[in-house]
Amino acid sequence: MPSETLILAFDTSAAHCAAALLSGDTILTSRREEMSRGQAERILPLCEEILTENKLSWADLAAIGVGIGPGNFTGIRISVAAARGLALGLGVPAIGVSTLAAQVLGAARPVISVVDARRGAVFCQKFDDTGAAGAPQMSTQEAVEAAGTAWVDHGTRPLAEAIAQLAAAEFATRPEEGFARPAPLYIRAADAAPPRDPAPLILDQDPNQHTDQAPDQDASV
Amino acid sequence: MSDTLSNTLTAPLTDKPVGTLTLLGLESSCDDTAAAIVRHSPGDPPVILSSVVAGQTELHAAYGGVVPEIAARAHTEKLDICVEQALERAGLTLKDLDGISVTAGPGLIGGVLAGVMCAKGLSAATGLPFVGVNHLAGHALTPRLTDQLPFPYLMLLVSGGHCQFLIVHGFDDFKRLGGTIDDAPGEAFDKSARLLGLPQPGGPAVEAAAEQGDKKRFRLPRPLLDRPGCDMSFSGLKTALLRTRDKVIAENGGLTRTDRNDLCAGFQAAVCDVLAEKSRRALAQYMELNPPRPTIAVAGGVAANTPIRAALETVAAEFGADFLAPPLALCTDNAAMIAWVGIEHFRAGHRDDQTLSARPRWPLDNSSPAMLGSGKKGAKA
Repeated sequence: MPSETLILAFDTSAAHCAAALLSGDTILTSRREEMSRGQAERILPLCEEILTENKLSWADLAAIGVGIGPGNFTGIRISVAAARGLALGLGVPAIGVSTLAAQVLGAARPVISVVDARRGAVFCQKFDDTGAAGAPQMSTQEAVEAAGTAWVDHGTRPLAEAIAQLAAAEFATRPEEGFARPAPLYIRAADAAPPRDPAPLILDQDPNQHTDQAPDQDASV
Repeated sequence: MSDTLSNTLTAPLTDKPVGTLTLLGLESSCDDTAAAIVRHSPGDPPVILSSVVAGQTELHAAYGGVVPEIAARAHTEKLDICVEQALERAGLTLKDLDGISVTAGPGLIGGVLAGVMCAKGLSAATGLPFVGVNHLAGHALTPRLTDQLPFPYLMLLVSGGHCQFLIVHGFDDFKRLGGTIDDAPGEAFDKSARLLGLPQPGGPAVEAAAEQGDKKRFRLPRPLLDRPGCDMSFSGLKTALLRTRDKVIAENGGLTRTDRNDLCAGFQAAVCDVLAEKSRRALAQYMELNPPRPTIAVAGGVAANTPIRAALETVAAEFGADFLAPPLALCTDNAAMIAWVGIEHFRAGHRDDQTLSARPRWPLDNSSPAMLGSGKKGAKA
C-alpha cells in the first residue's frame, strides 16, 4: 500500500480523454488523448495503463477525481457514471470537480473562468480574491469581456492534473457526512418543450374530477 | 422504486451448488433505471434475489413522451444507487457476485452509455467479469427466467418502443418474422391519450375509457392487414384518430366523454385486430417448426392491456398453442431480465472488456432487413 494519498482523476468533458495520477503532491503520470468520439471505450483502459505503468492497481487509490463539466453532456456523463461505478466497487469516494474551478487553479484572482458552450454562448463562473466563487452560469463571450475582470478559457496546467489536485484538497477535508456523489454540472437545461397541440375541450364534466376537487372529509377529522 | 418480486422469490443463500452463477443486471435504455440480482444453479429454476426499478414517468410527464436528454441525466445519477439497493435487498455484497450484465443497446444512447460506464467502473474496481447484452433479448428470454420455457418459442414484443414477432431458437439465435415499420403500439396509446386529453401513461387511461365506449361507432383503419407477412404500422392509425377527433370537434365544438370513450374503444379495437391477425400469421409460420411445446409468449407493457391479451389468448388457442405472459413487473423494463440474459451468455463463456461500445441500434436478428422509419422512441431495431 503506497504511503502517500493516491488519487486518480479523469475527464471526458470535451473532445479528449484525460487522466492524471497524483501521489501526495506529486503528479506521477498525466495523459491526454484528443478524440471527438470513442471516449467511452478509451477512458478506463487509459486509466488502467497509467496505474499499470506505476505498478499500481485500482485498489491502491484513496479516491477518484472526476471532471463534471460543464461541457459536452454525453462526455460528462461517461466520466461521472464510470466514477460512480468505480467508487461503489472500490469503496472509496469519487469527488467531482468542475472544469471552471480546475482551469483557474493557481490563477491570479479575481478571474472569470470560461468554457465554450457552443451556439454562441459560454459557461462562466467568477472566482474572486477572497476565495469565494459566484454561481456557474450561461453568458456570452462579449459579456464576459465587458465585465472588466480578467478571464481565462484554459488552465495553466493540464485539466486532469488540476482535477486531481482539487479532488485531493477536497479529500483532505474528510467531511463527517461523507462526500457527495459526483453529479454532472450541465448549467444548460435539457432541450425539451411541452407538446404544442393543446388537449381537446371536454364538453361534459367528468364526475370523477368533481370528487377530486371536493374537500377530503377524512382529512378534516 | 418497486421491489415486489424480491419479497416473494427470495431463496436461501447458503449451500450454493456447483455451477451456480449470481449476476447483477443493469438496465437504463429508456425511462426506467433498474438493477437486479439473479441466481441460477444448473437444473434449478433461476431465482430473482432482488429487482429494483426506479421509473422516470413524472420527469417526462410534461413533455408528452420520453425526452432522451432528461432520461440520460436521471440514469447517470440513479444507477449506482439502484445497485446499492439491489445488493441490500438481496442481502449480498459485490463480493458475492460472479459477474455483471448490462444493457448495451438498443435504446436511447445517453442512458445506455450511463449503464455501460457504470458497469465498466464496477467491473474495473471489483475484477468481476461483465457482459453487454441486448435489451430486446432481455424481454425475449424472460419466459425462460419465469417459466424455463424450452426453445423454440414464438415471442411478441409489444411495448412503448418495440413491436416485433420473433422465433426464439436459442439465447442468441432469433428469427424476426416481422415488426412495426413506424410507431410501437405503446407509443400509439400514449399519443392517443394526449390527443384525447387523457393522462400519461396512455395505455391504462385509454383502456379504461375504451371499456366504457362503443368500439363500432368510429371505424378506424387496420393498417397493413391487406398485405401479407407480419409487418405492422401504427402511425397511420394515430393520424386517423386525430382526423376523426377533429371532425367531431368541428361538428360539436368539443368532445363529450362519450365521444372520447368511443374513440378510445375504436382505437383499441383496431390495435387488437392488427395484433391478433399478425399473431395468427406469425403462429402459422412458427407451427411449421413442429415445436415440442408450442407457445406464444408476450413481453412489454402493452401485454398488460386486457382486451389485447384476450385476443392473443384466443389466437393461441386456435393453433393449440400455449399463451404465456410473464408477471407485469417482468413484462415492462427491468434488470432481472438483463441479469438472466447475462447468465445465459456467461454459461456460453461470453465476456466483454473495457472497450465495449453502447449500441443505439442493435437488431436481434441480423439476417432481417433494417426496419424503416424508426423514430427517436420508435422501433429501435
